[in-house]
Amino acid sequence: MEAILKSALPTLILIGEALVLLVVALLHVAYTTYAERKIIGRMQQRLGPNRVGPRGLLQPIADVLKLLTKEDIVPLGADKTLFYLAPLISLVAGATSLAVIPVWEKFVLANVNVGLLVILALSSLSSYGVILSGWASNSRYAFLGGLRASAQVISYEVAMALSLVGVMLMAGSMNLAEIVRAQTASSFKIYAIPQIIGFFVFMVSAIAETNRVPFDLPEAETELVAGYFVEYSGIRFGLFYLAEYFGMVVMSAVAVTCFLGGWAGPFEVPGLPFFWFLVKLYVLLFFYIWVRATLPRYRYDQLMGLGWKVLIPLSLANILVTGLLKLWV
Amino acid sequence: MNPLRTIFLTEIAKGLALTLRKMFSRPVTVQYPEEKKPVAPGFRGRHALVRDPETGRERCIGCLRCAKVCPSRCIYIETERDPETRRLVVKRYDIEALRCVFCGYCEEVCPVNAVVLTEFYEYAGERREDLYFDKERLLQNWDEFIVTQKRPYFNPYWKPRGIPESRLPAPKRKAEGV
Repeated sequence: MEAILKSALPTLILIGEALVLLVVALLHVAYTTYAERKIIGRMQQRLGPNRVGPRGLLQPIADVLKLLTKEDIVPLGADKTLFYLAPLISLVAGATSLAVIPVWEKFVLANVNVGLLVILALSSLSSYGVILSGWASNSRYAFLGGLRASAQVISYEVAMALSLVGVMLMAGSMNLAEIVRAQTASSFKIYAIPQIIGFFVFMVSAIAETNRVPFDLPEAETELVAGYFVEYSGIRFGLFYLAEYFGMVVMSAVAVTCFLGGWAGPFEVPGLPFFWFLVKLYVLLFFYIWVRATLPRYRYDQLMGLGWKVLIPLSLANILVTGLLKLWV
Repeated sequence: MNPLRTIFLTEIAKGLALTLRKMFSRPVTVQYPEEKKPVAPGFRGRHALVRDPETGRERCIGCLRCAKVCPSRCIYIETERDPETRRLVVKRYDIEALRCVFCGYCEEVCPVNAVVLTEFYEYAGERREDLYFDKERLLQNWDEFIVTQKRPYFNPYWKPRGIPESRLPAPKRKAEGV
């Protein structure tokens, strides 16, 4: 009995850690929606949600409860299996990436050596959810949204992966914890300074990857009603939202680990090992929201043009320069 | 366009600076049911018939001018002569508020300042009858309104602008408020 317990203990600890991470991440996602509404409200000189609970703090909970109690509608001509599966693919792919992100030196759920690849793979997988939902809904608007999502993913995935190659070259590793350690050991402390172009390309393509303003063409309310999830209702609709915000959190977390020095900070905060990671994460999340409150949506051809003609050449040049410097310096 | 400006995204930076600045400015929201903006004087709200503080009755003399001038024909008046005093008595004075266009002509034309559009605006009804005001309702509307006001109350529409004082009927000229 004791032997079984002893052998099962690491697994149990892992499951416990995964649960903690999931709950914390879900809370973050829920309150990102609240922060987004509040911040955009203030930027537009409105108040934002302030009715549910003190200062509207219970709004995300009320939203989830509302979505849970709504009717779950499946359109008549829809491909049922894919229709049910699509939001889950989006969400699972978005949430799984969290496992490889080193929140702290001693807190990495899965310390895999190809962490960066895992994240890239999962983030492109999450767009399958978008594409499948667009196709399975059997609706023109949703289909157009899905098509746009696929085209967008193809062009921005490349730019994003290439922008991270510079980081891989500098750190000499694809393990995210190793990347953070290499950063703290380097003379700049963070890679955002030597890899400024990579950082820029990554931030832009991360916004496109998570389908957010100004690259929210797949869901473009004004043209496609709501794009790929127009036919979804109730909690399935909520899952798409959750996936979008999970994507946002994951992308910000990747940017923090790869460019901003992860958990390392200018000084140690006693008792709060996650402090610097979270501060950086919140700054980036605020940036996402800030951009959303400011910029109008790109036109479709401009979006493709930006991806192929600006971001990909930029990141390729960045890789070249980084590689040459690495060789000679 | 200056290529340097394009490269460093100055326009986008300007936009971001604007939204950031606005984030620290005061929101313009009025939290309506709890917080109300003061009504402009002469706001044309719920209809009322002025109750004369001396007699305690309506001031209306039944001249029908309001009914005639009303563009949406929503005022219905019936009068009769008191057989003893030979005076005109208003038997019925109804305003169908749902048809009213709130032009305020009735208050301008009324020679004795008897009809008024009060500054009270929260009077939604659940049935059509709720917004069909008969004489008693109109007087009651006045009572409800006047307690919220400083006395003497004078509605700006009672002396229409642009008409010389000498051409106004005598009671209107002399009126100084209720």
